[in-house]
Amino acid sequence: MDLARWRALPLARRRQIFAVVLLAVGAAFPFLTGNAGNVDAAANAFTYVLLALGLNIVVGFAGLLDLGYAAFFAIGAYGYGIAASGQLKPEWSSVWDLFAYTGQVSRLVVPGQPDTVQFHFAFWPMLAVAAIVCAVFGVLFGAPTLRLRGDYLAIVTLGFGEIVPVVARNWDGLTNGAQGLGGIRTPRLFGYDFGFSPYPYYFLGLGLVAVAVWLSIRLQESRVGRAWMAIREDELAAGAMGVNHVHYKLLAFAMGAAVGGLGGTFYVAKLTTATPDMFTFPVSVMVLVMVVLGGMGSIRGVVVAALFLAFLQSVILQELTGWVHALGRLVGSAFLQRIELITSLELIFGVILVLMMIFRREGIWPAVRRVSALSPEQQAAAPSRGAAVQLSWSQAARADAAPRTLLEIESLSKQFGGVAAADRISLTVRAGELVSVIGPNGSGKTTLFNLITGLIARDSGSIRLEGQEIGALPAHAIVARGVARTFQNIRLFNNLSVLENLLVGEHARLQAGALGAVLRPPRVRAEERAAVDRALEVLGLFGNRLLPRLDHPAYGLSYANRRRTEIARAIMTQPKLLLLDEPAAGMNPAETLELMDLVRALRGLGITIVLIEHKLDIVMDMSDRVIVLDHGVKIAEGAPVEVRNDERVIEAYLGRRRRAA
Amino acid sequence: MHTLDVLLQQVVNGLALGMMYALLALGFTMVYGIIELINFAHFSVFMTGTFVGLMVLNLMGVTAVSASLQGPALVGTLIALFLATMTATGVLGVLIERLCLRPVRHVSGTAPMITTIGVAFILINVMLLTWGPQAQRFPQLLPNWRWGVGGAEITFKQGVLFVVGLLLMLGLWHLVRRTTLGKAMRATAQDADAARMMGIDVDRVVVVTFFLGSALAGAGSLFFGLYYGFTGYYIGYTTGLRAFTSAVLGGIGSIPGAVLGGLLIGLTQSLGGQFLGVKWTDVIIFSILIIVMVLRPNGLLGTRTPQRA
Repeated sequence: MDLARWRALPLARRRQIFAVVLLAVGAAFPFLTGNAGNVDAAANAFTYVLLALGLNIVVGFAGLLDLGYAAFFAIGAYGYGIAASGQLKPEWSSVWDLFAYTGQVSRLVVPGQPDTVQFHFAFWPMLAVAAIVCAVFGVLFGAPTLRLRGDYLAIVTLGFGEIVPVVARNWDGLTNGAQGLGGIRTPRLFGYDFGFSPYPYYFLGLGLVAVAVWLSIRLQESRVGRAWMAIREDELAAGAMGVNHVHYKLLAFAMGAAVGGLGGTFYVAKLTTATPDMFTFPVSVMVLVMVVLGGMGSIRGVVVAALFLAFLQSVILQELTGWVHALGRLVGSAFLQRIELITSLELIFGVILVLMMIFRREGIWPAVRRVSALSPEQQAAAPSRGAAVQLSWSQAARADAAPRTLLEIESLSKQFGGVAAADRISLTVRAGELVSVIGPNGSGKTTLFNLITGLIARDSGSIRLEGQEIGALPAHAIVARGVARTFQNIRLFNNLSVLENLLVGEHARLQAGALGAVLRPPRVRAEERAAVDRALEVLGLFGNRLLPRLDHPAYGLSYANRRRTEIARAIMTQPKLLLLDEPAAGMNPAETLELMDLVRALRGLGITIVLIEHKLDIVMDMSDRVIVLDHGVKIAEGAPVEVRNDERVIEAYLGRRRRAA
Repeated sequence: MHTLDVLLQQVVNGLALGMMYALLALGFTMVYGIIELINFAHFSVFMTGTFVGLMVLNLMGVTAVSASLQGPALVGTLIALFLATMTATGVLGVLIERLCLRPVRHVSGTAPMITTIGVAFILINVMLLTWGPQAQRFPQLLPNWRWGVGGAEITFKQGVLFVVGLLLMLGLWHLVRRTTLGKAMRATAQDADAARMMGIDVDRVVVVTFFLGSALAGAGSLFFGLYYGFTGYYIGYTTGLRAFTSAVLGGIGSIPGAVLGGLLIGLTQSLGGQFLGVKWTDVIIFSILIIVMVLRPNGLLGTRTPQRA
């Protein structure tokens, strides 16, 4: 098939074909190589691929640098190791009857001593148990880090990563200390014992990797994955778009840990032994190197990098060493014959980390697609300024046109140090209004927005939306109630595409959780389709400004288009109240006019708008009412004309007029 | 020995150890204060310092089997040793900053920290490949004098550690509080952009900070060598993490905090080892790290919160 026809296939179809081909190659490999050593190396490599995929969820998707990831590897490994070996021999009691009945344990009778329990839990259910146990530990280890900045989070995870092997080394009764567990039972399938041949483990590992890849792809391309990436790109903006960062960070830790637990269980079943040294810091770093080399967040890159580094360790360096020795014999150099390249493995890891960070942070096979810039023809195609449309879902909002109070703020105060950024501000906004907030720089306008949207906590006062108090709610809950905002200094999710940015905006209106994201029942599929349709509809408001750039990463957009994308993202939250923080800042007069058309159109859709703006001509032209802040105090409020002539407003802007002497 | 004597003895031991952690923690805290980076490579600079010290001593003709020195010879050797080692680790720190960290300084996210992990691995493994995996004996330079204090003993070694550590800290304090350079450093820590606009060469401040921090780590590595009498490629990690815990406990970014944290961690190690068992030392220390991070991220004396604004 020629390349053009291949390209013409839908992405999903291409992926299916690709997956089948890869699995076929994977299944054929053991028969092609004919070398048990290579199959064994590949089976071990699959362990690292699993670990790397798990860490990729935490570091790559959610941006949480976990330096103690080997802890989950250890917990999974010891979990299965203890359950499938004679390490624990508790006294027999009737609790064990059920397990004995299902063949998971047996009663060990030694004359003259109390009866004990011999564990031999089966591998398959233990895979699930290990994953769940690790997920729980993931949440436990993750919970303390939630409030911490990225690098501190790394250190705390590192602390956990240190504690786990120390516990494994010193809790002799549970783990057999430094000698480690031995005699772990190998998996059985329908009476077939996996034993010590690498072949069954190879296929088991291949299957687990396939599952982990599938899981990763499904998660990445879902509401959950978008929420993770939004947190990674800009946690604050993610919250302001309705993403509950506590929930999603813990979910990332849990999912990542669960995959690590699978890796540990698999590894130990294959090795039939577990010692504390197998899970130390260098292992965590090795997995991190795989993720960094492949590209954080890039599933294909991480798989390839993990396979490469695992083979580098088990095969390539050995082979190279052989060649170097041969060269040494050839030239008669004793030095060359002594070299063991495997000892420099960690040196290579260090070099990879440094070089990748300096020269190619996105990895060798990055997750972000590169898109070519639009040609002049594409840019000029269907020139339309849009802004005259309506949105299918906005009808309901338009229907109730009766004037009622939407936002009610009473005596709201906030101090920063000794400075009152908001001093007993009271105001109301009626549904359907366009209210502007003006005031000199530092008068507390943005602080007011931050207070309303829950980005900062108020000191006192109340904020009511449709009569309900929202002042104590976290940002994401306020978005869900129908308040959206844009930021003065645009905060887009830079490495996400325009479309993905918009879909994050819709986060609070969608329902799919992790399970739904992975299994994709019809309900979730329909929801995703509808979400994309709505995004396209919203982009339509901007004419051809954004529609041709759907797949472009946000960092590459022009300034005006970044502003537009941010407004579009806010509209996607389906707000009742939209707070625009200087939307026209930095725009030229033509762009400003276009933007103002849009704002009018949004009003037409029934969205109530509060606008912070410095371009007073716009403010006077468009607003129903104007509120003036100065030093955190509301100094005036009223129709544009009234405010313009207000003595105190003039004073605030121009200073006190000097009295004639 | 009575429990009380044991306690006293472990307090003495802990304070001496604590000086070493404090010196290391100072490097962390200073770099964090200036560029808000957790410098993982600091661990390995410390480790490299022990080997530098070893080489310097060998160059001066002092080997692991030499007898301990006395009098002016001892003082002279010590001064030369500290000067040479601290200069070398200081230069190493500057090299790391220039070659590896400056290119990623303005990259947001985890990239700078991952870079420092890479640097740490490179240094550790270069040392491993050069010196081999076995522990190296560090010359026992200091005579084995000891004095009784109550029921406990203070060794001459501990005394030297304490005095040298104190002198270095006073020097640092003077530099940061009383000199123009120190003022530039404090300004940069407050707001690098504003400092730049006031004509401060921020790049130079960063370089100086790395030099000072790494030089102090060099002094710390000599403490380690003199105190324990050995070194190895692997010593940086555990010691470094304890030192990092010290910095966090005291309040990251705070110089007195680093000293206080170091002493407290030294005490924790010696008392915890005595009363709970040496094997649990690291669990205790890392638990402290996690608990401080969660409950009091500012640390004991810190003003700066390691949190997102």
